[in-house]
Amino acid sequence: MIVLASLLLLAATSFAQDWIRTGTGLGVERVRLAASDFKPSTTDTKNTDLLKTFNDTLWNDLDNAGIFDLVSKSFYPLQVPGQPSEVSFKDWNSPPPNTSMLVFGNLGAAAGKVTVQGWLYDVKNEKSPQVLGKQYTDNATTDAVRVIAHRFADEIIFRLGGGVAGIAESKLYFVSERSGHKEIWVMDYDGANQQQVTHLGSISLSPRISPDGSRLAFSSISKGGWEILMYSFDLNRMVSFARFGGMNLSPSWSPEGKIAFSSSRNGYPNIFVVDGSGGNSRRLTNDQGPDVSPAWNRKTGSQIAFVSGRTGLPQIYTMEADGTNLQRVTDQGYAVSPNWSPNGQFLTFSWMRKYGPGEPGSNDLYLMDIASKQWVQLTHDAGRNDFPCWSPDGRHIVFQSHRSGSDQIWTMLADGTNVKQLTFKGNNTQPNWSWK
Amino acid sequence: MAAITDINIYSEHGQLRRPLAWSLGLHLAFAALVVFYAMFIHGFRGNAWGSGGGGDAMGATLVSAIPLPANPAETTNVLATESKGLSKSQPAVQEKEPEAIPIPDKNTKTRIKPAPPSATQRKAQPEPPESNQIPYGEGGPVSGPYTMSAGGAKGGFGFTGSGGDFGSQFSWYVQAVQRKVTENWLKYEVDPRVSEAKRVYLTFDIARDGHPANVQIEQSSGVPSLDLSAKRALERIDSFGPLPPEYSGSKVSVEFWFDYKR
Repeated sequence: MIVLASLLLLAATSFAQDWIRTGTGLGVERVRLAASDFKPSTTDTKNTDLLKTFNDTLWNDLDNAGIFDLVSKSFYPLQVPGQPSEVSFKDWNSPPPNTSMLVFGNLGAAAGKVTVQGWLYDVKNEKSPQVLGKQYTDNATTDAVRVIAHRFADEIIFRLGGGVAGIAESKLYFVSERSGHKEIWVMDYDGANQQQVTHLGSISLSPRISPDGSRLAFSSISKGGWEILMYSFDLNRMVSFARFGGMNLSPSWSPEGKIAFSSSRNGYPNIFVVDGSGGNSRRLTNDQGPDVSPAWNRKTGSQIAFVSGRTGLPQIYTMEADGTNLQRVTDQGYAVSPNWSPNGQFLTFSWMRKYGPGEPGSNDLYLMDIASKQWVQLTHDAGRNDFPCWSPDGRHIVFQSHRSGSDQIWTMLADGTNVKQLTFKGNNTQPNWSWK
Repeated sequence: MAAITDINIYSEHGQLRRPLAWSLGLHLAFAALVVFYAMFIHGFRGNAWGSGGGGDAMGATLVSAIPLPANPAETTNVLATESKGLSKSQPAVQEKEPEAIPIPDKNTKTRIKPAPPSATQRKAQPEPPESNQIPYGEGGPVSGPYTMSAGGAKGGFGFTGSGGDFGSQFSWYVQAVQRKVTENWLKYEVDPRVSEAKRVYLTFDIARDGHPANVQIEQSSGVPSLDLSAKRALERIDSFGPLPPEYSGSKVSVEFWFDYKR
C-alpha cells in the first residue's frame, strides 16, 4: 500500500538557468486550482445563457480531469477577475482559496459571434504568473460555447497534466436499446449529445471505434448470422466489410488499424486478425476455445489479451500479436472483457473471483499490472459491472454497471474513485472510448 | 387477692419503666456510636489507607470507602465483576496512545540526517567539524559542482535573458514534471526486503517537445532495484509536455531524486 508522504520540491539554484531540481518521496499531490466564473465582456442578451453553459462545462471538465483539487467557489473573493489586470494575487494565493492556479476570463457575444478570452495564472508566482492565455471566436450558440469550453479545459489539462492531452472532446460509443432495438449510439465523454448511429433494426453489439476515429466496427446479427459490420463517419453511412461465415464477434482495432475478432468460421470460436479492409485473414488461436473478446495492447500493438473458456470457466489470456507466447493472466473465477490501458501497462477486466454454487460472487472490475501480475479491485459492492474501457488519457475508465437497477454507462477515475453516471434512459451497455 | 395481684402487676409494670428507658437509651447510644464510628472513625481511617503512617497493624476492614483507583477500562466481559476481591487491585496499565506522525510540510526540504551518536560514540569522536564544512550526507547532491559547471557552460543551451531561472519562472512545469515522475514510479519494483534507502539522484534532459532523454543515475542509493525502478519511472514517460513556449532554450536539464521508504 502506498503511503502518502511529502513531495519535495527544490527550486533551481540561482544561476543554473535551465536546471530543474526536484524529487519525490511517495504519492502524488493534485494541483489546487480555482476556476472562477467567466465574466460578460459585452452587453448582449445572449451572454447569460452562453456564460452558464460555458462555466458549467469548463468546471465539469476540470473536475473530471482527475488531476485537480478544485477549490470550491464559496471560497472565492467577491470580485473575480475577467482580465489579467484585475487579478489580485493576495486574494487568491492565501486562504481561504489558497489556490496555486487560477482560471479566469471573459465571454462576450456580439452580432451572432461569441468571443472568449481565457487565462490560466500561477498565482503563487507573482513575477511571471501567466501559464496560458487563449482567445476563441465562434458562432454564438450553446453548442459552440460548449466546444470552446472543452478546448480550453483540454489546454489547461495538457499544460498542468504533464503533456497528456485532455479528453474533453473525446467520444463514447455504446449500445442502447432505447429505440426498441439494440443499436449503436454515440455521446460526448460527459454524457451530453447522445445520438443514434446505426438504424439496422436488428441486434448490434460491441462497437469499437478505429484509432483515427473515422470508422466504427461492431458485430451485428443479419441473415447470414453474426458478422462484423463497419460504419464510416467520413461518409456517415454503413460501408461494406468482408463476411467470413460462422459467428463473428467482438472486433478490436490495433493501433495500426488491424482488426482482431472472434470467429467460428473453422468450427470453434477462435481469434482471427484481418487488416483494416478485411483481407489477409490470419488465425491466431487454435483450440476448442471458445476464444472471444480480443483486446490489443494499445501502446505497442504487439500483444493481444483475450478471453478463453478452454479450461472451463472463462479466463483472461495474453499472447503476442502473432499468436505465440500464450500466458494465462487470471487464476480463478470468471474473468471477461479485457481492455488495455493506453500506456500498455495495465489490463482492466471484469472478474467474478468466486464463482459457482454457494459462492455469492460479485461481478466487479479489476486492474492488473501486466508485468508484475499484481491487481487491485476497482469497484466494490455495486451490482454487476462489466465492459470496462480506458479513456485516451489513461486516467479514466468507462464501464457498464447495473448498480442503479438497470444497465447504464458510468465512468470513474482509473483508481476507482469519482464514479459518475452518464446515461439514464433505457438500457445502455458496452461502452467504447474513442482513441483521442 | 385479685386486687393485690393487680397492684403487683402494676407495681411490676412501674418497675419495668426505668430499665426500659435505660435499655432504650443505651441502644440509642450504641446505635449513635456505630453511626459515628462508621461515619467518622472509618472515614478517617479509610482516607489514610495505604499511607503506612503510625505503624498500626492494617486491619482487613472490608468497607466500601476504600478509595481504590477506578477501573478505567470499560469491559463487556460478563465474567468481570465490580467486586474488588480480597487482594489489593493494581491500577490498570494505561495504554499509551501512539504518537501521531507529523505530516511534513510539503515545501520543506528534508535531508537524511545521520542518527545522533550514542554516548560512547561521542567520546570516541574527534572534534566537531568546522562550521563551513558539510557533514557527510547533508551536503545535498554530490553533483553540485558538476551542475554549476554545466550551468556555466550555458552557451550550449542557448538560454539567455528572460531575467529568471527556469525553476522559478515555470514552476508549474516543474511541478508537472515532478507529478508525472511520481505517477510513473512503481514502488513495488523495489526489492521488498528494503525498507529504507539513501536518496537516489537521477539526471535527465527534457527536450523542446517534452520527451526525456539522457537518463542517468547520478548518485546510486546502493540498492540496485531502487536505482532501476527510478530509472524505469523515467523510461515509462513518453513526454512531459512541450517546454513552455516562452522558454527559449532547446532543452532543460533535470536533477531528480527519489526518497524510498516503505
